[in-house]
Amino acid sequence: MFLLGFLTRRLAQGVVIVLLVTFLIFTLLRVIPGDPVRLMVGGMAPDTLVEEIAEEMGLRDPIPVQFARYLSGVVQGDLGQSFVRPASGAAVGGAAFDDATRGERAQVLTLITETAPYTIQLALLAMALALVVAVPIGVFAGLSPGRWPDRMALYLGSVFVSVPNFWLGIVLALVFSVQLGWLPAIGYENFAYTILPAIVLAVEIAPFIIRTLSVSVAQVMRESYIAAAAVRGLGQTRIIMAHALKNASVPLLNLLGVQFSLLLGGVLVVEFIFDYPGLGLLTINAVLQRDFPLIQGIAIVTSVAFVMINIFVDLLATMIDPRLEY
Amino acid sequence: MTDTPLLGVRGLTVEAGRAEAAPRILDDVSFSLQAKRILGVIGPGGSGKTTLAHALVNWLRPPLEVTSGEIRFRGEDILAMPSDRAARLRGKTIAYVGGDPQGAMNPTMHVGEQIIEKLRAVEPGVSYKEARERAVALLGAVHIPSPEQRFGEYPFQYSGGMMQRAMIVDALIANPELLIADSITQPLDVTVGAQILKLMRELSERFDTAILFISASLPTVADVADEVLVLEGGRVAECAPVDDVISRPRHAATRKLINELPKLWHRDGTTPVAATDKAQTVLSVQNVSRVYPIKNKSGLGKPKLLQAVRDVSFDIHAGENFGVVGESGCGKSTLMRLLTALEKPDTGHIVFDGEDVFGRGRAGTRRFRREVQLVLQDPFGSLPPQSSIGEIISEPLVIHGEGDRRRRRARALDMMGEVGLDKSLYESLPTRLTAGQRQRVNVARAMILEPRLMIMDETLSALDQTEQSRLIDLFERLQAQHGFTYLFISHDIALVRRVCARIAVMYLGEVVELAANERLFFDPGHPYSKALLSAAPTLEDRRYRPEDCLLEGEPPSPIDLPPGCAFASRCPSAHDRCREVNPPPVYRGEHDRAACHLLQPEPVAS
Repeated sequence: MFLLGFLTRRLAQGVVIVLLVTFLIFTLLRVIPGDPVRLMVGGMAPDTLVEEIAEEMGLRDPIPVQFARYLSGVVQGDLGQSFVRPASGAAVGGAAFDDATRGERAQVLTLITETAPYTIQLALLAMALALVVAVPIGVFAGLSPGRWPDRMALYLGSVFVSVPNFWLGIVLALVFSVQLGWLPAIGYENFAYTILPAIVLAVEIAPFIIRTLSVSVAQVMRESYIAAAAVRGLGQTRIIMAHALKNASVPLLNLLGVQFSLLLGGVLVVEFIFDYPGLGLLTINAVLQRDFPLIQGIAIVTSVAFVMINIFVDLLATMIDPRLEY
Repeated sequence: MTDTPLLGVRGLTVEAGRAEAAPRILDDVSFSLQAKRILGVIGPGGSGKTTLAHALVNWLRPPLEVTSGEIRFRGEDILAMPSDRAARLRGKTIAYVGGDPQGAMNPTMHVGEQIIEKLRAVEPGVSYKEARERAVALLGAVHIPSPEQRFGEYPFQYSGGMMQRAMIVDALIANPELLIADSITQPLDVTVGAQILKLMRELSERFDTAILFISASLPTVADVADEVLVLEGGRVAECAPVDDVISRPRHAATRKLINELPKLWHRDGTTPVAATDKAQTVLSVQNVSRVYPIKNKSGLGKPKLLQAVRDVSFDIHAGENFGVVGESGCGKSTLMRLLTALEKPDTGHIVFDGEDVFGRGRAGTRRFRREVQLVLQDPFGSLPPQSSIGEIISEPLVIHGEGDRRRRRARALDMMGEVGLDKSLYESLPTRLTAGQRQRVNVARAMILEPRLMIMDETLSALDQTEQSRLIDLFERLQAQHGFTYLFISHDIALVRRVCARIAVMYLGEVVELAANERLFFDPGHPYSKALLSAAPTLEDRRYRPEDCLLEGEPPSPIDLPPGCAFASRCPSAHDRCREVNPPPVYRGEHDRAACHLLQPEPVAS
């Protein structure tokens, strides 16, 4: 019963959030300077043709009308067609307006579903790497506040957080791809291509996990029920594993939710450096090409992902700590 | 006394660190406890009671450590044992229950699961099924209603009293030989605390457990213990059977503890009397109610209503001390918020000096707030730590835009003199003040605007007996000088007996009885008043016995109030009508009234 109410309420809120994001992106894209039709048809096309195509595509209608038309497509699962990309796959800006190679334009939904798996794979691997490194360090630091593990965690975190990701990416590519030749760096052909960008991202996330976990573990260890548990006769291992870590995991969970959403939403720089064919790269190109439908589509999909991840995280958190039922 | 005692403590000394000048928390403490007996430990705050309890269960935290002495359990020194053997005694043979039941269990695990976890940790052979059966049986034995269902609930779903019962189950489930009970009734309401005490006596007989019962309240200890050990400044002042300690105290510390106890049933003509009929009504509370909507957990459906204050009416006369008593959840705090215009009542009126407080907009409320000042309970949280004492006291003048800097300083210094604060403290921060001094700062801050009415919301609750007495004397002096009217909001029945002329007893948001001091204490009209009086800790001969006045159980939730009288579920004399119809107030004489079906109206004495 609680679950049903919770999901209904949160999904309803989610729909509102996604609608707002869509509307905002939609409107902003249309008020900023730069005519997409001009980019599509190319600089050489006559103005009349630009107007003609714009009329035909409905780009001269009032924004609310355009929005309504767009939305009615979205609810039917149609995110529209890319302004620029042909279905064949080649991503070129408009060269000539009568270019014969410009055939059917690509479906935005298809573009996104083709690239999203790469980004999800990258995000999952980065998250896993970060957790493997950060969880033991964070827990250990939290269990001995003020002593060397705590200080080491702090220093490590500071170093990680201050390494610029583009620099790390370039250095890793230089060392592991160019000099050692262990791992590929550019593009994507198989799983090995995910490893280097994932390491860069993991280094970026790990300090937050370490910090959150060490603070929350240290805080839980000060709770009176932890002290009381020893007096009640429970062993130290049991106290830490069953009681302390469980209660300390809620703040971590919230952090992971946000971090994961950020990873999905656009690891722009890292994907760009490694030319990794994920959502980030797609976004960069879409922005550079004024590809309105694609930008909108990516915004909608990532905001839906954001909402879903948050609902999932909150649900998980209430399962761990039933006091959070709200 | 020929055989070895269960627990023998010899020369136990605990110091904060090993340094030469390290403070001694416990100094050469020796006593013994025989099997199946109850030894009470009593002493004022800071006398080392809790340190003693922690030392016995090996729970001293740095810098505290045992520097000499021995703790012999069945003749064997726990302190000299290998640490793993000592650890095995913990929880299994020597169990501990503390004064913080709500914090003692993991908030994210079922209470029952944690009890099982503990049992199986100290008795590894027990199967889950058997552990569960034992836990449920014991939860029933400590009078937790529907233990099967309660077993699978979380700590936050338990009330304080219920949780303390669960902690007692947790301590007793492994059949310990010694139970250390440290201030277990302190956080509880008196009526619930009385039930826990009764339970301790029952359990010690039923399970043959020896109990070391630690408390700051002599009456509480006297209620349960066979012998009493009086601690003072970390030393044993005396140790003797209960009756001897009370009737023939040998040590000055014991006599002090006894003399400081407020007297409830002592008629010496000092009872505060109500103002005469001609006295002006300062504050009139008329049919005031306040309801809070509680959001449904899933966020769907209609919100439930928490009825915090229900149809409350009373008048406070000029120069009089009016008391509001009741236990947690009775609506005292909400009433305070209404009376200080922090919140608006949903229905009813609050009339100050003939004018509706909320009737004249913001300006009216602002003027009212000037005339009514509030002193709160928490001496530590109520003072901003970064402001100097002088700034704190003169701040109300700044807020109301009065005087220039020099005049304000002079006024603040005056006030400090009046409440007995050294004027040299004007520039210092409140950090180093004692609780008593802090409350004096609060009083000075409240009276600098020369209010008509001072609301004392549990102002004295955080102070020890000595400091309480001093502040009460101060209040009386200030009243004589400035003509304040006091409203005391308190859970402490002894306090209102001492200072209040008329008293309103609240239960679940209602004023169930309103009576003059003498009448309330010697002829209470409402069964709840009687129950409250019966549970008050005192060494005097009890006029009312808790067993006769109160049924087992706790107040119902103010969210789903049953129809009829709110007290019916705990009232020994409740009948069918009480569960259907909420009794209207019945007047007993001209001013006193109580809401009970059993009362007959009394004619006004001519």
